[in-house]
Amino acid sequence: MRGRPTVIVCLAILLVIAIAAIAPNLLAPGNPLAIHPSASFLPPSLGHPFGTDESGRDVYTRIIHGAGASVLIGITATAIGLGLAIVFGLLAGLGPRWLDFGTTRFLEVLFAFPGLLFALLFIVIYGPGVLTSTIAVGLATAPGYSRIIRSRVLVVKRAPYLEASLVLGRSRFFRVTRHLVPNVAGSLFVLATLGIGQSIVWASSLSYLGLGAVPPAAEWGAMLSAGRTYISSFWWLTFFPGLFIVLTAAATTLLGRGLQERVRS
Amino acid sequence: MALPLGATATPATADSVRRRSWLRWALARLAGVAFVLWAVATVTFFAIRLIPGDPAEAILGGPGSQASKEALAQARSDYGLDLPLGIQYLQYLGRLATGDLGTSYSLRSPVTTVIGQNLGPTLLLALSSLALAVVLALLLALWSSRSGRIASAVGSVLEIIASAVPHFWLAIALILMFSTALGWLPPVSVPGAAGLVLPALTLAVPLAGFLGQVMRESLLDALASPFVLAARARGEGESGVFWRHALRHAAIPAIGLAGWAFGSLISGAVVVETIFARPGIGRSLLSAVQDRDVPLVLGVVLVVAVGYMIVTTLTDLADRFVDPRLRARS
Amino acid sequence: MNRLLPSLAALAAAALLLTGCTAGESASSSTTPVKGGTLVYASGDAEPTCLDPHVGGNYPQALVATQYLESLVSKDKGGKIIPWLATKWTEAADGLSWDFTLKKGVKFTDGSPLTSEAVVANVAHLQDPKTASSTGYLALQKVTKVTAIDDLTARISLSSPDSALLDSLSQTWLAIESPTALKRNQAVNCESPVGTGPFVVKKWNHQQSIQLTRNNSYTSPPADAAHSGPAYLKAIEWRFLPDSASRYAAVQSGTVDVIDNVQPDTIVAAEKQKNLVAVDAPRPGASNRIELNSSIAPFDDEKVREAFIRSADVSGAISSLFFDTTKRSYSPLSSIEKDGYSEPKLFDYDQKAAAKLLDEAGWTQKNAEGYRVKDGKVLELDFPVSTNQSIPAEQSLFEQLQATSKQAGFKVNLHPQDLASWYGALGKNQYNLVSAPYTKVGPDVLRILFDSAGTKPAPSGYFANHAQITDPALDALLEDAAASSDAAERSADYEKAQKIVLEGYYILPLYDQQNHYLLSTKVKGFRAMPTVSTPALYDAWLSR
Repeated sequence: MRGRPTVIVCLAILLVIAIAAIAPNLLAPGNPLAIHPSASFLPPSLGHPFGTDESGRDVYTRIIHGAGASVLIGITATAIGLGLAIVFGLLAGLGPRWLDFGTTRFLEVLFAFPGLLFALLFIVIYGPGVLTSTIAVGLATAPGYSRIIRSRVLVVKRAPYLEASLVLGRSRFFRVTRHLVPNVAGSLFVLATLGIGQSIVWASSLSYLGLGAVPPAAEWGAMLSAGRTYISSFWWLTFFPGLFIVLTAAATTLLGRGLQERVRS
Repeated sequence: MALPLGATATPATADSVRRRSWLRWALARLAGVAFVLWAVATVTFFAIRLIPGDPAEAILGGPGSQASKEALAQARSDYGLDLPLGIQYLQYLGRLATGDLGTSYSLRSPVTTVIGQNLGPTLLLALSSLALAVVLALLLALWSSRSGRIASAVGSVLEIIASAVPHFWLAIALILMFSTALGWLPPVSVPGAAGLVLPALTLAVPLAGFLGQVMRESLLDALASPFVLAARARGEGESGVFWRHALRHAAIPAIGLAGWAFGSLISGAVVVETIFARPGIGRSLLSAVQDRDVPLVLGVVLVVAVGYMIVTTLTDLADRFVDPRLRARS
Repeated sequence: MNRLLPSLAALAAAALLLTGCTAGESASSSTTPVKGGTLVYASGDAEPTCLDPHVGGNYPQALVATQYLESLVSKDKGGKIIPWLATKWTEAADGLSWDFTLKKGVKFTDGSPLTSEAVVANVAHLQDPKTASSTGYLALQKVTKVTAIDDLTARISLSSPDSALLDSLSQTWLAIESPTALKRNQAVNCESPVGTGPFVVKKWNHQQSIQLTRNNSYTSPPADAAHSGPAYLKAIEWRFLPDSASRYAAVQSGTVDVIDNVQPDTIVAAEKQKNLVAVDAPRPGASNRIELNSSIAPFDDEKVREAFIRSADVSGAISSLFFDTTKRSYSPLSSIEKDGYSEPKLFDYDQKAAAKLLDEAGWTQKNAEGYRVKDGKVLELDFPVSTNQSIPAEQSLFEQLQATSKQAGFKVNLHPQDLASWYGALGKNQYNLVSAPYTKVGPDVLRILFDSAGTKPAPSGYFANHAQITDPALDALLEDAAASSDAAERSADYEKAQKIVLEGYYILPLYDQQNHYLLSTKVKGFRAMPTVSTPALYDAWLSR
């Protein structure tokens, strides 16, 4: 998808989600934790646009108030993953042969653990919760990003403009910062923006396995996982958290693409 | 016959040089694989020791087994758990070298047997899902690159939605649609191909979304690049252009993802095998971690690591064939 | 499925459905049973690690072992002990031994005969530390030896009178296996134990299914069975489907015939389905209750315990989360236990009373978030929750209790954990509230749960008395009841004991241990054992 309209729509969606994350009471003045057992499992209506859950809590309010936790998980996990990845990837791609060899082997060791197993072990050792599942997801995704960054670095190293820069006598630092990093970062955008949505989804899988956010926290992944039991009887409990996860992931990805376009041209 | 003056190596010598460089590469690879496997085994061995709880209990039927003091002591000595950690580690490495993965605490049978029974179904699931994902991604890429900007946009959105859907949700949504509502497929695994469709689809859809997005970038790049332009100028049709030129270029980053895709499929298998009640190492791994069944966790991690090593070696080889630029490095 | 049924068939189905929803039994077998067919049973419980319930002894083992193993005695729906493998039993005058007379002509499926030597061998197996039995071992703690008086009479000698012996012997965990089979290596015996039951374990495909086939020489149904001779079903396929949503989809689509661990919302949904029947069979022993740890602050103060209980709106939670598929319990015992005693008045939801009690206990100040504070400490409670044992509806119930008790000023921290971590937290005494199920036949479970001996941990760290009650008067009542042979005296003792537990506000009873089965209407003659509420497929048959 190209073009300014896309970018504007994405920005608008992300703005709403950002407001929800920072100042939820502006969009949903109610209390996300207030239970009303007599009003449980109500379908969407004027009074409850997204319906109510098993304890009579308003789903719309919980989704708005849960934006902060969910987006934070996504951003933090992705930041951890990419941060580590950039370090490893640059080390491997730019350093001498032996450093590349050593780092790649180290990454392969990390990578050889299936992501979920890594997260499982981490959480079983350090206990469940939002913090541990965020760290676990971040660590689990780092090797994957590292590998991609490393290959990108290797390809860009050979690019004509870099050779031209060398011929022109530019310093190594200049070559790295003016040419290498922006071109590597370009492909990172798609990954990062994709990663935010992926991390939220990962964390929700951990909630499904009983290892994620602690109740009664309103977090999209936890809501999606908790509502799944009732999917055949009460569809709105999974539909709306899922919708917001997908919207966030889609908006960030498309935004990243749009920005990447502009950087390219 | 005398060599003409100034001639360099004969073809025969060039061949042996290439062979030697391949050999060097293969040996380096092998050393790397051995190192990784050793590192994985070591890290997992010590990481599991960090998990709170008494392994002797796990041996006697799980936590809270109310086992007697004598039974626990017996279990500890039977399994060598009363030895110092360093000795246990060396014993473990020694057994590994002979291919002995130990005995599962909770299943009471050799780990190799358990893995042997469960590896096949998971590999079948993973390969089917991978094939399905590739087909889906290719079809979508083909359709959207040929049918204009709207199609391209729609394709892009579909891919994004697909990659953001969690397995545990997709599984039950597919069950509701294809089993409960339409009655076409069984909701849980049954022997035969019918039982494979929904699990494979559940794993394939998010993967297809991800693969599609990665390929889309390179595909669009490739379709606008000089060599494709040249091909079109030579009179090649769109299909020829797509399959012979653009796809090869687009495949490069996708192949690089194969290793990641393998890990992702194994992770996804944990959830999918549980929901569809399919036998497999994903499900074994989950229950092994929950039961604190140390030998089984170690065994599965090692087997997955071996599998991952095989996949990455194959993709490295494939990379060298597909992307000539990488050959230059060696 | 959207099919139009002829109105006659619809009426018939509705009639079947109505008769089908009675506790413990499925539709009456007014038509002739059909011989043959394979029934597919899908359990939501974990797959056992050993098919011999002597080893360990948990509910998943009992579920499947009910099909191939039998006990000395059983219980009928009225709670009376009835003959099974034993036809007669007499207690000695001093209560220190019991003589059991076995049924004649019963053979194990490996051909060996059922004699008193079998009883000797089985008790020895249960008491042998190498077997690592928990449930059976605990139940036979007073047994000193077993002697074979003659071929069909076995004498069980006790160190002191045991009123719970017959109840214990009716459980699947103390079933009688072939002595020849027991001599085998334990790993081999775990794969296919040999018993006298209506079915035989043919093959166990680990993590896939257990294949059971009909025992064609079967001669020993319990006294309350609906027929005699071999079972109707030719085979049973026993599967494990841990995910509740796909399990329901499986029985709905007919891929499986019977499921257990049915969630409340699917019980309600199933009522609208014409091809499904629900059977409610609460497990025996204790009710599902929340225990308050009286050994550490703040629950060492009875007023605080009562305040918490008054501030918990359990009934509201049950009707919203369980759709009234279960009734509120006010007793420590399951509703199927005859000696259960309830006192509903103690558990009225009353926030004003809770506030008053907390004021009296010294928790008069509140912090900014609304939680009560005393001497700088917040009124905080830790509640580890086992995600394996608490279904989602129950976990949501705990969340609701967390919210209502917050109004009184309690800060409840819920900690959902997997089983191993949960046992760890309990073993370290790091909890104020906990909900731990206990399934056992008979009121003797009160002794296990509330006698002060239950506060001493086993070598594995596990202990059963989570409320940590150490009350000598209670101990005396429970031990007295355990030794008494007078049923009336026992009932009186157990009633007094339950009064002490309830009035001390040590527990918050919720409901019975939920145990619902969902069957396809094709399945007839299904019933749950009146002993441990496991499915008895002996009288079951599949209509075409």
